[in-house]
Amino acid sequence: MSNREVIHQYLKNLSTYLSRLNKEEATEVIKEIESHILDVVEAKEQAGEKVDANAILAGFGSPRELAEQYVAHMLEGTPPPVGFNAIQTVKKGITRGAYYGMFAFGVSVSTLLILVGLAKFFLPDQIGLWSSTHGNSVILAFAADTQPNAEELLGYWLAPIAVLLGLGVAKLTKSVLRVLKHHL
Amino acid sequence: MAKQDNFNEKWDVQLRKGTLELVILAALHQKERYGLELLKYLHSFETMQITEGTLYPLMDRLKRDGLIDAYWNQEGDSRPRKYYLLTETGRHKQQVLVERWRRSVLDIESILSQ
Repeated sequence: MSNREVIHQYLKNLSTYLSRLNKEEATEVIKEIESHILDVVEAKEQAGEKVDANAILAGFGSPRELAEQYVAHMLEGTPPPVGFNAIQTVKKGITRGAYYGMFAFGVSVSTLLILVGLAKFFLPDQIGLWSSTHGNSVILAFAADTQPNAEELLGYWLAPIAVLLGLGVAKLTKSVLRVLKHHL
Repeated sequence: MAKQDNFNEKWDVQLRKGTLELVILAALHQKERYGLELLKYLHSFETMQITEGTLYPLMDRLKRDGLIDAYWNQEGDSRPRKYYLLTETGRHKQQVLVERWRRSVLDIESILSQ
């Protein structure tokens, strides 16, 4: 590998290990270290010395060790024992899964509620909240026929209630996602 | 001889653990410096042979603690460099640490001379 490739690869690996930091912080760290390395390379070239990227990088330690020092403050208390890194990766996977799951769930529920609310104006007879079997069960339905033996509960009130509920769910989803993103 | 060097190095590392923060604050108290400049300055002293891997994360922590600040600056044709300077808090901390350091040296000297 050429010197340029060695340096590029080092910074790329460092960037991977810095993923616990937010993007801005990680970019800042990489930018500074890159500036340092290129400064050293340039000085050596100007002095007519042979440039050995691996020798220059040696002072920084491995990308992983270097990154660990930058993220050390994010680990509460003492750093985890060796071998715990794998568990952290899994935990992070769950958070990422939870993030997208929450997103899909929140968006679909709120969209559905808002649609139901709006559709009430166009299909007033097919959409409604019915109480059937003498109040023992409640049916929120988009039905082809009106519900037999059932009493409609809300009438046109369904529209604003469903829309407001939908907006409420959307807002709630947004705040939950913000919290999740912070821990991502 | 090699064994002696190794021992000296270990002693330097131990001693630096507590004093490096003071050393860096003091170096920045003299003037603003960028990373490589600061490293070269420290390397001009026999017992201050720290690595890049020690310096940069420490600078990051000092900045996080609000003791130093940093800004990017480009002079002439050179590459943009990240300069570090003391904050007001850093200036104060430096004074406190200098005092404690001098006190420690006096105490140790006093013990050694008895």
